[in-house]
Amino acid sequence: MKNLQMNRRHVLAGLGTTAALATVGLPVKHARAAGSPAMIGALNPVSGAGSAYGSGMQKAIIMAAEEINAAGGAAGQMIEVIGEDTQTSPEAAVNAAKKLVEVNNVGAILGTWSSGVTLAVMPITTAAGVPLMCTSGAPAISTEDKADLVWRFQATNDRFGRAFAKIADREGYKTAATMAFNNASGIGNTEGFKKSWGGEIVGDVVYEPKRPSYRSELQQVMASNPDVIVMGSYLPDTTIILREWFQLGGKNKWIIPGWAANDKLVEALGAEVCEGVISVESVSNESAESYAHFDKGYQAATGSPASSNVYAAMTYDMMIVWGLAMAAAGEGADSAAVNAKLRDVGNPDGAEVYTFADGVEALKSGPINYQGASSRLDFDEYGDVTPDFGMSVIKDGKIERVAVVSI
Amino acid sequence: MTVAYLMNLAVNGAVEGLLVGLLALAVTLVFGVARFPNASAGDVAMVGAYSGWLLQSAIVSLGPLSLVFAGVTAMASAALVSLALYWLVFRALSGRVGVYALIASIGAAFVLRSVVTFFLGHDQQVFAVPLTRALSIGPLRVLPIDLWVGAIALAAMVCVFVILRMTAMGRRMRAIADNPQLAMVSGIPAARTMSGLWLMAGALSGLAGCLLGLKTVIAPEMGWDLLLPAFAATILGSVGNPLGAVIGGVIIGIAQEVSTPFVGFTYKIAIGFVVMLLVLLVRPEGLFVARARVR
Repeated sequence: MKNLQMNRRHVLAGLGTTAALATVGLPVKHARAAGSPAMIGALNPVSGAGSAYGSGMQKAIIMAAEEINAAGGAAGQMIEVIGEDTQTSPEAAVNAAKKLVEVNNVGAILGTWSSGVTLAVMPITTAAGVPLMCTSGAPAISTEDKADLVWRFQATNDRFGRAFAKIADREGYKTAATMAFNNASGIGNTEGFKKSWGGEIVGDVVYEPKRPSYRSELQQVMASNPDVIVMGSYLPDTTIILREWFQLGGKNKWIIPGWAANDKLVEALGAEVCEGVISVESVSNESAESYAHFDKGYQAATGSPASSNVYAAMTYDMMIVWGLAMAAAGEGADSAAVNAKLRDVGNPDGAEVYTFADGVEALKSGPINYQGASSRLDFDEYGDVTPDFGMSVIKDGKIERVAVVSI
Repeated sequence: MTVAYLMNLAVNGAVEGLLVGLLALAVTLVFGVARFPNASAGDVAMVGAYSGWLLQSAIVSLGPLSLVFAGVTAMASAALVSLALYWLVFRALSGRVGVYALIASIGAAFVLRSVVTFFLGHDQQVFAVPLTRALSIGPLRVLPIDLWVGAIALAAMVCVFVILRMTAMGRRMRAIADNPQLAMVSGIPAARTMSGLWLMAGALSGLAGCLLGLKTVIAPEMGWDLLLPAFAATILGSVGNPLGAVIGGVIIGIAQEVSTPFVGFTYKIAIGFVVMLLVLLVRPEGLFVARARVR
């Protein structure tokens, strides 16, 4: 049961707080009484398709909360994290989100991962006036978020598509076909690519998940002989598609998102099939001090380097930036007031800060601009950030970064 | 779009259909004799795939032979799980309306999946198979694994037919399917016969799971996802008819794939079910009701 190790009790134990149990079922909604801790929900994919990332994401939130508490809390309040598991399933995530909102009265929910989960949880958090911070890519999350309560720390799928287009240009491809898993994220990737690429699109397939074969789909795109096939896909379907493509004698190149073209793909298919596949993922803010700071803490907490889990840096930033916004909003501010301060502490024109403690200090003398571990953390009008992208190529079964692409 | 293109699509559909048909064979046997749609068949198949994979990863040095052992292990373990489900769950419900057993089988499916994910996690697994290029047969491009799926599904169908028609055990199964009370007073040992039925259904599920795992990836949800198409194939081919189940699967598979140039890939699944609906409108009892059935 390695995937489920992180339940609420563990999280609380990790925080070292025993007052937690007494606060369950507080009657006051979102109002932050001085003295009582600020409750924060950590809603992560500890099990299910996101299980490779979920525990690390939750640990990063706890780590950030400990950092805030060690600096004396945010606006005089300690942070208490309540961990829940989305199971990477919208149904389970909705139940967990309801519990966090209604039973734990959390001030914000941090760290939903897949787009399906985020889109399912959004109506609940928005109706309750609770801000939601996610690492999902679907463009719909921006347009559905009418109340400006949803914040995205990952590149949108549309931005991924733009990065794909830049890479296709860099490689000199002339014709491309796209294959998208039929959901908001998969289609978002390929639509973003098609919109911003100048080359010729010769094939375009949207496929259904969980099929026993993708031969017919491949037959169609391969008939047009593209230089490259651009994917909006996940690991299981990518495994099946690449295997069948290789068996059918395909010769074209591939551009695949990093969450599908990873070590597990190479492990499943072998080096020969994966040779030359281009894997694209958003990369953390690797040159920033905040990243080095996070990396050190993350290694100490998990034994793995920060680079092993790009989403952990995002959830770490969520907690830090929320803490800074609490500090900026001042004592007794409610969730809405803190939410309104997020752009103030993350976006330019302000002193650049890299840790929570420095941020609080700098806030005393003027506005701040937190430079995150995951990205520069500048929120646009939709609450989305624009990270950089890493372009990696699989060579002899090893995934090697060859360039960092900014869009 | 050429004829060759459509023929290749039809081959793809037929292979998918045979795979679905293999599971439908297990579903239709239980449906015909025990009289309820067994929703645990898919997850029994998943258990078979995992046990085959576990064995194969231990003896991978044997090369292709390891896959044969994996297949046998998959069938044996799935048959045992299936038998255990009969003795622990379905036997107690045999006198009741089928819906009790249906609900219980859904529960059993959840239990099996939870147990597997508890011990083996959610990560996908794959059989270690050397990848081979597709064969060209005239205008057709055929993957070797697909030939295996086709041959094994047909062989399994023949085996089931022989067991049902030409053995004493098969005769007893058909007697129970026809009239359980009469079979009982005639001295047919119900429990033993039913055990044979569940072993056979389990072995078929395990085989289907193993082949699906070879063709795709092994994951906890793989069996459950195959279940709905298997039910459709069962119904299309007339409930309780082994031959019908396989042909039903193939018809749905071919209809799905050949429709793709016209309706695209997102709606092909709906097309499969539309074909089923149309057939059932004309023949509510399914395609093959008058032909060889279990009972």
